[in-house]
Amino acid sequence: MTTSNTNMAETASARVTGYGISYAITSILSALLVVLKESNESVLNLMVSLTGHHWITHGLLDVILFVALGALLSSRNITMSGNTLISTVVGSTILSGLIIAGFFLQ
Amino acid sequence: MSKEMILMLHPTFGVLAMIAAVWVFVEALNASDANIGRLRNASVLSAILIWLAYIVGGYWYVIYYGGDKALIKAGPWPFAHGFFMETKEHLFLMLLLLGTFLPIAAYGDVVKKKVTRKLVLWTSALVVLMGLSMEGAGAFINMGVKVALLAKQL
Repeated sequence: MTTSNTNMAETASARVTGYGISYAITSILSALLVVLKESNESVLNLMVSLTGHHWITHGLLDVILFVALGALLSSRNITMSGNTLISTVVGSTILSGLIIAGFFLQ
Repeated sequence: MSKEMILMLHPTFGVLAMIAAVWVFVEALNASDANIGRLRNASVLSAILIWLAYIVGGYWYVIYYGGDKALIKAGPWPFAHGFFMETKEHLFLMLLLLGTFLPIAAYGDVVKKKVTRKLVLWTSALVVLMGLSMEGAGAFINMGVKVALLAKQL
């Protein structure tokens, strides 16, 4: 992820990179949480008990994780090539979408 | 405000968010010092509209959807809930994050850095594609309720 010889002209800013990676991680974890809560009643009940509805809890967790990870990763000044960042954002969106749609399709 | 009007606000905000994302995409194609302000304003507008769609749709889903869900599951199109609603309500959370990321990317150096411009293009395109899938799934859910009500009348 961090390379000393990465051309700076081909990298996005630290904030854009940080929040881009944060989006990718959060979207995949969110998709995995869908599988977990729908497969495990105790997880679902725990999420319901926290806010009154599992979907509200899920949304709050996603937003909190996205913002917290984004702020943390932005401050780390991660250097990642722009094309890798784009692939990460697009790839995680496709993967998360397939996990969610695939789970409910079965 | 009636619950039907609250429900209609959800796809309305969604469509407007998609239009704003298309606007961002078009501005990003020819990003320059002359249009960077418009690009950033459109990205913020898109994010605000996605959040409004989320809040209004989420309110309706949590408060009112239970009745429709029971109807759909007992009707001829149970997959309208089992697949389309379940997938939609969880994919929307990703769209919410992606829509929030769009202005963050747009406030990067879009004019001077080609990769940031490409990232804005990809992100706005994904917002539009995911938004269209939300609208399509919403149509299936709507039809699921309709055919369930029709089946009850026969």
